[in-house]
Amino acid sequence: MSKAISRRDFIKVTGAVGAAGLLAACGGNSGAASSTAPASSAAAASVEAVGGLSSDPVTLTMSWWGGESRHNAYQDAIKAFSAEHSNITVNPTFAAWSGWEDTMSTKFAGGVAEDVCQINWNWLYNYSKNGQTFVDLNSTTDYLDLSQWDEAQLAACNVANAQQCVPVSMTGRIFYWNMTTFNKAGITEVPKSLDDLMAAGKTFQEKLGDDYYPLHLGAYDRMILMVFYLESKYGKDWADPTTSTLNYTADEIAEGIDFIKSLVDGHVIMSLPTYYGSNGDNAAHQSTEWITGKLAGCFEWDSSATKYQDALDEENKPGFTVGEEIKFGDYNGGFSKVSMGLAITKTCEHPAEAATLINFLLNEEAGASIMGSECGIPASKAGLAAAQAAGAVKELVAEANGKVMAFVSNKLDPLFESNDLKANGTGVYQEVFDTVDYDNKSGADVVDILLDGMDAVGYTVE
Amino acid sequence: MKESKAPSLGRTPAQKFFDKWQGLFYLIPWIIGFVVFKAIPFGQSLYYSFTDMNFFEGIHEYGLMNYATAFTNAKITKALITTFKYAFITVPLKLIFALFIAYILNFKIACVNLFRTIYYIPSILGGSVAIAVLWKAVFRDDGLVNTLIRMITFGHAQGPSWLSDPTYALWIICFLRIWQFGSAMVLFLAALKGVPADLYEAATIDGAGKWKQFFSITVPMITPIIFYNLVTQICQAFQEFNGPFIITNGGPRNSTTLISILVYNYAFKSNEMGMASALAWIMFVIVCILTIIAFTSQKKWVYYSDER
Repeated sequence: MSKAISRRDFIKVTGAVGAAGLLAACGGNSGAASSTAPASSAAAASVEAVGGLSSDPVTLTMSWWGGESRHNAYQDAIKAFSAEHSNITVNPTFAAWSGWEDTMSTKFAGGVAEDVCQINWNWLYNYSKNGQTFVDLNSTTDYLDLSQWDEAQLAACNVANAQQCVPVSMTGRIFYWNMTTFNKAGITEVPKSLDDLMAAGKTFQEKLGDDYYPLHLGAYDRMILMVFYLESKYGKDWADPTTSTLNYTADEIAEGIDFIKSLVDGHVIMSLPTYYGSNGDNAAHQSTEWITGKLAGCFEWDSSATKYQDALDEENKPGFTVGEEIKFGDYNGGFSKVSMGLAITKTCEHPAEAATLINFLLNEEAGASIMGSECGIPASKAGLAAAQAAGAVKELVAEANGKVMAFVSNKLDPLFESNDLKANGTGVYQEVFDTVDYDNKSGADVVDILLDGMDAVGYTVE
Repeated sequence: MKESKAPSLGRTPAQKFFDKWQGLFYLIPWIIGFVVFKAIPFGQSLYYSFTDMNFFEGIHEYGLMNYATAFTNAKITKALITTFKYAFITVPLKLIFALFIAYILNFKIACVNLFRTIYYIPSILGGSVAIAVLWKAVFRDDGLVNTLIRMITFGHAQGPSWLSDPTYALWIICFLRIWQFGSAMVLFLAALKGVPADLYEAATIDGAGKWKQFFSITVPMITPIIFYNLVTQICQAFQEFNGPFIITNGGPRNSTTLISILVYNYAFKSNEMGMASALAWIMFVIVCILTIIAFTSQKKWVYYSDER
């Protein structure tokens, strides 16, 4: 009998394999199907539904992103909350930032997000522009003391005429330096001016070698520093914070891009292709170059101080220093913004309990003293006082935040952080600075890429 | 539905009803899964592809605008070209490599089962996140590959920047897929074992050498499996996501941005489900066309033993 393959055999085998594949695919994609429902279809709990606290057992869910120490702080605080409110159980979901926004946006769209969410400020505009996703916290004032925040801070989270979240902390960008490496290069003072920066680049290359740089900036960091530079030179916000009308001309922006290019040319920052070659799109604090001190500085959020310090190896950790804001022109550049907020989703069935939880974490002594500065310096006055009294505010974070808040004066528009602009890999900011570095282009050559991208996300570019 | 051939004499109406429909009852769990998780999303995505559906803003416009954009937007056309490049590099190379290894493992050599297992392992691990992360480490500037290049050349040569140079990055992603040749290899191995030995004996008597035997007997006899592997590999190549997403995230400079990555970005980063659906359907149509071409062409090159 022939063992060769007949058409019948072939069809049998392909049929069996195909059926198995289809079954496997069915199982694997089950989550995707539910994610396509529009946000408007989510069962919305109206603000009127906020009633009294239940004495029956209540289960809340809560989500946040962050590092290990933040995870621990939240979990400890939740334990303390459950001890105080024995009928309320809080089930947490948490992870690192990478990929977190994709996950949460899908949950918001599907109406399956957690009851209490730690959110980014621009999420209010991206995912609840019409107030469709988050509860108006003005309806929970019996349980959440909004008087602990400044009016301006609350106003930043008031979108579609609804107080959609309360700010956990305010933040801005500042330089951090690894003085262990700086000292190796013979530099004993942190850079305080553009001249200091340029001189450091030259000294690093001469004394430590081509692999050492005084500063590292990823594509999004470059965009923020470019805006910082332009605000410092021209003294105006990047864009109108309410209408997102761009305040800069193409020539001015080209000048800003050329400023960043000059940092690459001056060996102050590593070119992006060089960084990608070793690290792909990994964050700087995860790179070997940062950990071992070859990248000896960064321009980061004040709330990120400990993350960058903790990543350093034992030799370099003691040298981690909060730098000074640098004035590149006649004005103070840079902006502050709500670092993150806590919001209650409209699908939450127990908004009163959820508001009580937020109040516990941010305003009450028992919660705020545990949270400390894990999410930045508390924006709540009572929360800050409690954290300080408990000695839970890290000096490093406090120093960085103090310097930022004393320096920056500009405002940020919500579109600046649009995913289409800032996303790793595919964002417009990355495209602009990749083109500069890969093709050795000038600001004038690439400014249209930036303006077109900004126009596409809703900026008014005149 | 075809009625049961079991004798119906003396059976109650309920039993007769059960006899008639029992096959369907067994299928119901699968049908429910198929309808809920496949058919409905399938139809829904087709509908969305003709809208400007946004997760958070709903639908405001209907028409062919997504398809028009897909063929005029430079980023999307580049991703389409990259996807074709990826498929046309990986599919033939993977088939050739799988067949080559299967051919070797078909010989009676020591520890052949161990080798078969070892060569199959990449197929089990290959699609995983862990391997993609490992791949990233192997090909970084100071990774294993460049270290080996430096060692072999006694420090005189420095390997290229595999992950940051757009010229090489796509090849690194392709290489990961080609490396996962195990499942195709197993199918080839089974097919090779099915080739009748008397054909080789006759060819040897007629003076045919190994190469002649391979191309004139082995290859024609296993063309059904080559065909099957070709079709499945084309389908898989156009759906590749994990490798480029984890290793390069579509970079550098979009050189590894396949259509699947754009679908993800549109759907979950920009929340533009309409555009994402249109791209998914374009990919589906392309795969269908290539599959139809493969099926149409099989009359010319695929040999089935029951055909005359």
